[in-house]
Amino acid sequence: MNYEIILWLLVLVPAISGLVCVVLPSHRTALGIMCTGVFGASLLGLTAVKSVLLGGATPFAAAGWLFMDALSAYHFFVMIIVFCLSSIYACVYFTEEHSRGHLTLKQIRLFTALWCEALAAMTVVLLSNNLGIMWVGIEATTLITAFLICVHVSRESLEAMWKYILICSVGVAFAFMGTLLVAASAKGADPGSANILLWTTLNANAARLNPVLIKVAFIFLLVGYGTKAGLAPMHSWLPDAHSQAPAPVSAIFSGFMLNAALYCIMRYVPIVEPATGNTSWGLHLIAGLGLMSIIIAAVFILFQTDLKRLLAYHSIEHLGIIALGLGLGGLGTFAALFHTFNHSLCKTLSFFAAGRLGQIFGSQDMEKMSGSLQVSPVWGTGIFCSILALIGIAPFALFMSEFQLLKAAVDNKAIISLVLFLLGAGVVFVGALGHAIPLAWGKPHQARQRIRTGTVEFMLVFAPLAVLLLLGLWMPETVSNALNTAADIIRHKGGTAVSLMEAKQ
Amino acid sequence: MDSAIEIMMILLMLSDMALLGLSRLRTCISIVSFQGMLLGLLALVTQFTALTPRLILIAAASFIIKGFVFPFLLRRGIREAGTQHEIQPYIGYIMSVIAGLVMLGVSFWLGTKLPLFTGNSSSSLIIPAALTTLFTGLFLIIARKNALNQCLGYIIMENGIYTFGIVSVVEIPLLVELGILLDVFVAVFVMGIAIYHINREFDHLDADRLNILKG
Repeated sequence: MNYEIILWLLVLVPAISGLVCVVLPSHRTALGIMCTGVFGASLLGLTAVKSVLLGGATPFAAAGWLFMDALSAYHFFVMIIVFCLSSIYACVYFTEEHSRGHLTLKQIRLFTALWCEALAAMTVVLLSNNLGIMWVGIEATTLITAFLICVHVSRESLEAMWKYILICSVGVAFAFMGTLLVAASAKGADPGSANILLWTTLNANAARLNPVLIKVAFIFLLVGYGTKAGLAPMHSWLPDAHSQAPAPVSAIFSGFMLNAALYCIMRYVPIVEPATGNTSWGLHLIAGLGLMSIIIAAVFILFQTDLKRLLAYHSIEHLGIIALGLGLGGLGTFAALFHTFNHSLCKTLSFFAAGRLGQIFGSQDMEKMSGSLQVSPVWGTGIFCSILALIGIAPFALFMSEFQLLKAAVDNKAIISLVLFLLGAGVVFVGALGHAIPLAWGKPHQARQRIRTGTVEFMLVFAPLAVLLLLGLWMPETVSNALNTAADIIRHKGGTAVSLMEAKQ
Repeated sequence: MDSAIEIMMILLMLSDMALLGLSRLRTCISIVSFQGMLLGLLALVTQFTALTPRLILIAAASFIIKGFVFPFLLRRGIREAGTQHEIQPYIGYIMSVIAGLVMLGVSFWLGTKLPLFTGNSSSSLIIPAALTTLFTGLFLIIARKNALNQCLGYIIMENGIYTFGIVSVVEIPLLVELGILLDVFVAVFVMGIAIYHINREFDHLDADRLNILKG
């Protein structure tokens, strides 16, 4: 099949199904169309991802404005996993909310429409070769998901939404300034084409860009996209938004939206590094922000009482870990990409469990939710195991990626990073375990009946756990090859995309 | 055309100072509307010798959206909320203007540091003006409590970036430019809806009293 058409369809299918969702007569059909859209786009995407990651192709579309190389294919893969799981979960969650009368049909329609549009916007971010369009996509995800936070209109959710939209819009505006500065830095270099903002052009001409302007630009970009990725100290919107949004939305926020912003930073690394003379100037900045996120998140994790806020701080910590890996370079880049998948899968599961338990207990307060294993064995196991995985217990895949990161730090002789990372991880380990044990085995606040769970919910909990366990114990060679191809693009070794593009011009 | 550009840039910087020193929301909105129209014209004036349909379209779109649509949305926000003044800003008006002067100085200093347009004398004022506007917007977002004022700050910040974009990068493709304009438009629109809901739910628009969520 023609990949040019597939790339277009990947954006159009969710965008159109989102528009259809607005006019549907019942909540079941709306959720059905939403799932159809998401799964349709995912199946199409899988064929493209397969040919890129395993076949080594780099399809272009729309006169070179849309493309999929190994880095975007890998992120696209993570995204569709998160979105497919979350869509199934959203059906379970919202059917329950609807039957309790918490949500009207109108709200569910709005939710399904925005959900599909959010997928479309994130696809645009990943597939865009034009850095301007990439920015447009990121800003669009902010605007689309803002209403997802207050699907339940309440004082808290409005406050969270206001903080989210203001802080992220302002932050992302900085990223736009950075994008302009990148374009300005290319002006002097004159790559000889009008497509000054195409990533492939910039990547090929990276060594000729103006180093001073590119440095200023990268600082703006790092602050801008870093805000959206929830890196400390620009993270203040994140715990509020994650805790107030409905659980499926928190899952995509944490599971992929943050990674989409970090992906934008990854895109700039192979441009900035050669432009500044391969001195790791930009990488050091990224690693610094990552370490700061790990430490700040670790401190806040100790004092949380709200389960979803706890998970939100875990997100900050893990995004920090990914940023640190990216900043270390070499094996660290590989570890960062591997960690992206592990964290997204694990965090999706933990927000699912937090949301369902929240519905069962009628509260997000961890004290009121104690003894969750007794009340709902399936979801109790889900939350406990996912917290174990998040803090890096051994057989899970998150342990493996963090271990590789440590190895990268030792290879680089980055002793300070190593010590700070271990310190942060240690504090998180103790803090989160202190929350998780009473949550699973504590005495229930009031006597409750055991909740029955269906097969779908059972699968939603145990399939991700099984994958995490399997990947932790054994990594197939195809997977590690695919990860390496993606990491090579960040390390500026991937020559295929560049040569293909030049052949086109 | 150089003198025209310079006059526009001076007007832009003066309007920034006025925004920092004024408390009446309606006046501030009028000034932001004036800034929007100014920037629409600036796009035309900088490229006066080589006008293209693309340029005219972008200039017209930003002239209309920033000069008329945003002020309309914001004025409606004021009517619904019934607020006329910022009651008690974090940083007083006189201090704000002094801060504005400092930002102006920093912008001029940065303008000389950045290696943009070497040997192009006409644009010596543009970069400082763009940066001052950017900083002013950011300052208003931080220093004012009223949600409407923060939204205004966002628009001003965007104006600064837009000014920078016009002069530093002429070659941005039309589709990207329109996408950006659309995003900013939707952002203000979404903020407007959020303000409407906040006002209905809380009976005030003070962002510093939005403090239920902590830690």
